[in-house]
Amino acid sequence: MIKVDAGLCLGCLSCSNVCPSQNIVRTETGKMRYIHWKKCKEECDLCVEFCPGHALTLVPFDENAPESEVSFELVACKICKSCYATEPMLRRIESTLPANMQKDSEGLEWIRVCPLCRRNIEAERATRQMVLARSRKSP
Amino acid sequence: MPVYIDISRCIGCRSCEVACQRVHGGSGHINVHFVGDQASVPIFCHHCEQASCTMACFSGALHKEGERTAFDVEKCIGCGLCHLACPFGVVWTNKIAHKCDLCEGRAQPACVVTCPANALSTDFQQASRRARSRAARAATLGGRR
Repeated sequence: MIKVDAGLCLGCLSCSNVCPSQNIVRTETGKMRYIHWKKCKEECDLCVEFCPGHALTLVPFDENAPESEVSFELVACKICKSCYATEPMLRRIESTLPANMQKDSEGLEWIRVCPLCRRNIEAERATRQMVLARSRKSP
Repeated sequence: MPVYIDISRCIGCRSCEVACQRVHGGSGHINVHFVGDQASVPIFCHHCEQASCTMACFSGALHKEGERTAFDVEKCIGCGLCHLACPFGVVWTNKIAHKCDLCEGRAQPACVVTCPANALSTDFQQASRRARSRAARAATLGGRR
């Protein structure tokens, strides 16, 4: 059986991806993500091994133990307000990247911006540069 | 051998998107973004020297292989950290991660070969030569091209 430390769980769904018997169920509504661990009798520990947060442990099967569930409120993008990640995942990225990489050339904290908006920003900047180069006056 | 883009040549036909999807089984890694009516910009992996996706990768699936930011599908567990760690939003996760692999095994990436406007190239010399000649033209014509 799998024991979950809710404080360490990132909500990344790796466990649910690697589970061979679909015992870890994910549900996602617009603003929330729920992860539900069914009580499993398997002696397999794939999810334990592949948990980036080291939140899972394999414990002996216990008939009376309740099934565990973790829920996350999804973080909204600073620009488009769409929900795109869980807070612990973003914190994890903020802790792995060096501080100078967390702000771009214009001081934007891009980690708090969703990937689609990041692509749009990149396209807008490239366009601005091109337009500027086209209209550059001779010295 | 990363791919260089000359956006002043891009005609927004999205052929690169189609070519990428064709060689990668339906999931492409290049997106053409339209900025108003000013320009179309293909957005794809930069193969960053200091790649934040490789730093965030928990299982070691994403790693640097020379200039290329390579991806080992066998190691990926689909945690999605790379997807959130890419500053340009060009790593995707759908159970497992997928990103530009510069068409490993092909002589040239499919997007570069397909681009009818020659906006994409793998030749750094060509990219810098074009930029220099544009600057020279701008200087002699007083801004007009």
